Amino acid sequence: MVNGFIILFGLTMLYLASTSRIIAHIRILIVQGILLFLICCAGAEHMNIFNFLFLLLETFIVKAVLIPIFLYKVLKKTHSNRDEAPNIPHFYCLVISSLILLAGFLVSNYYFSSEKMISPLYFGVSVATIIISLWLITIKHKIISNVIEFITMENGIFLLSLSIAKEMPMLVNIGVLLDVFIAVYILGLFVNAINKEFKDLEVSHLSDLKDYEYND
Amino acid sequence: MINTILIFPIIASVLMFIFRNKHFATFLVNLYAILHILVSTLLVFGVSNGAKTHYFAVDSTNLIFLAILSFVYLMVAIYNTSYVKTFDVKDKRIVKYSFMMLIFVLSMTGTILSTNLGLSWVLIEATTLASAYLIYFNKTKHAIEAAWKYVFICSIGIALAYVGIIFLSISTGAINTLNFAELYKYAGQFDPMWLKLAFIFMLFGFGAKMGLAPVHFWLPDAHSEAPSPISALLSATLLNSAFFVIVKVYKVMTIATVADYARIMLLVMGFLSLFVTAVFVYHIKNYKRMLAYSSIENMGILAIGLALGGGAYYAVILHLIGHSLAKASFFLTSGNVLELFGTKRIKSINGLMKADNKTGWLWVASFLGICAFPTSVLFISEFLIIKEMLVKGNYMLCILFVLLLTIVLYGIGQVAIKMAYGKLSEEKAKLVLENKQKITALMYIPQAIMLIIVFILGVYIPPFLNNIITTAISGF
Repeated sequence: MVNGFIILFGLTMLYLASTSRIIAHIRILIVQGILLFLICCAGAEHMNIFNFLFLLLETFIVKAVLIPIFLYKVLKKTHSNRDEAPNIPHFYCLVISSLILLAGFLVSNYYFSSEKMISPLYFGVSVATIIISLWLITIKHKIISNVIEFITMENGIFLLSLSIAKEMPMLVNIGVLLDVFIAVYILGLFVNAINKEFKDLEVSHLSDLKDYEYND
Repeated sequence: MINTILIFPIIASVLMFIFRNKHFATFLVNLYAILHILVSTLLVFGVSNGAKTHYFAVDSTNLIFLAILSFVYLMVAIYNTSYVKTFDVKDKRIVKYSFMMLIFVLSMTGTILSTNLGLSWVLIEATTLASAYLIYFNKTKHAIEAAWKYVFICSIGIALAYVGIIFLSISTGAINTLNFAELYKYAGQFDPMWLKLAFIFMLFGFGAKMGLAPVHFWLPDAHSEAPSPISALLSATLLNSAFFVIVKVYKVMTIATVADYARIMLLVMGFLSLFVTAVFVYHIKNYKRMLAYSSIENMGILAIGLALGGGAYYAVILHLIGHSLAKASFFLTSGNVLELFGTKRIKSINGLMKADNKTGWLWVASFLGICAFPTSVLFISEFLIIKEMLVKGNYMLCILFVLLLTIVLYGIGQVAIKMAYGKLSEEKAKLVLENKQKITALMYIPQAIMLIIVFILGVYIPPFLNNIITTAISGF
């Protein structure tokens, strides 16, 4: 059953790569949060109770509820509904993302199936998620899409940390969660500030600071 | 002892928000600086041993980093007291500015004192978040751009460093720890393949924060757009904190006998940083950007020194001290220049010496300090690094190193000298005369103190400092 959730998690990345409506991207974040929550629940028997409760709080409350609500508010304020015409058409995005995901499966099954420390499926999907997110950041035009892909990358890293059969110290876990949450919050505030200053959210506005020209 | 400097800023922040008074907020920033230097001084002279806590401790290596942070912060705080008076903003924003500055210094202090890799990671990310507001402080279009790039690039970099930490946990096998002392103890048993992979991710992640090329892109933007005291803190203390984490991770690699691999990575990034500076510094139009590129160059030198090892470790610490002091002084002086002329454009500034003699001299002295003109301590450190290269027979590296440094020196030199001397037009002279009143004595003294130390250390290193440096390198 956990394997099913992980595969679904991988598929959400394909959906993210092939759609342009930002509200759909935010819904994907909710789905990813819930999937991570279910994956944590399935592995509950190996954890101590505090760590388990903390992970539930992190995945369900923060990843599936708080961050999407916050982004939804930002979206409503900035009226940017679509990320139109990325550098690469959506169809190719879908194909390339599928290839990255496939490579993730194959490489991790081929190389790491004998490793005791990690489970290949977790590892493959999470590394593919991180790579797809980083790649999508480079091709999208809207700043808010970049924030969403930053969060999917963080989700990928979270899944990667679940793939090893070890627990990080509680303090580190709390710190990581707090940092990610504040980072998203600050990025959200900047999205609003950028929207106010430039009237829309195109990344191309943010390329004024140069070495060989003075335009301050 | 160290608890004081970790808890005080939290209490001070709460007080700031209760009273919401800009003078009180600036006072608390200064009070924290005094407390910080007091604690560091007691630790340096061995009066106190710092009292360990579970996650924070003072050891032989981090003491020197802490001392540099305390000293630079004190100097910046003195300058800042006058500098905030030049702000034409609401009180609320100055309170916020002071609050963020406290949190920024707190997170850097935490990073340096932390005994756990995971916690160092958390605190390094906290430095990004705290300083983002400080970079955005002027609220201009360009400030938004710089702050956005800074938060985004550094957060992604740091997220990748976390992937490195996860890989490190895989390589540790049955040992479940991120405590540095335990990592050193068991490093011999780690899986080398995963450890190498972990190092790449961590070097890129923390290297992004340290400003090593090719992940340095945020640095020139952020340093040039931030208010000058913040630029000084970013360059002279934040980059050191990130470097400190890399030093600690590098030690794990050394004990696990995969240091050769790490060494090559550090050398490549170090030389790339020198190269990038040499290429970009030539046609630069903004003097604060030029100083930022100089920081990238100096971080490159630190990475090269770390990779060389042996006698170069001593040089690394000397360079760290010299760069922090000289660059903080350079950035603070650039704040004076900006106040006087109201522009960061190199072309629009001539005759700084005539405009304001003291700022002019500080500008030239800072330049001489940073370009390793004897008796600047940077001369000794770069000389020792070159010596180490020759001793180890790395002649090609040595030639490349000297060549790149000379190119950078010429690039910075022509700008610094052009700005300091030359003719001051009447129109500019009038403007400068008007703006000169804003600059008080407190905006000259900190730079002068730092530069005097930089030039004295080149000829005389006091025994207590020598002692700290030698014990620090034993932990490398």
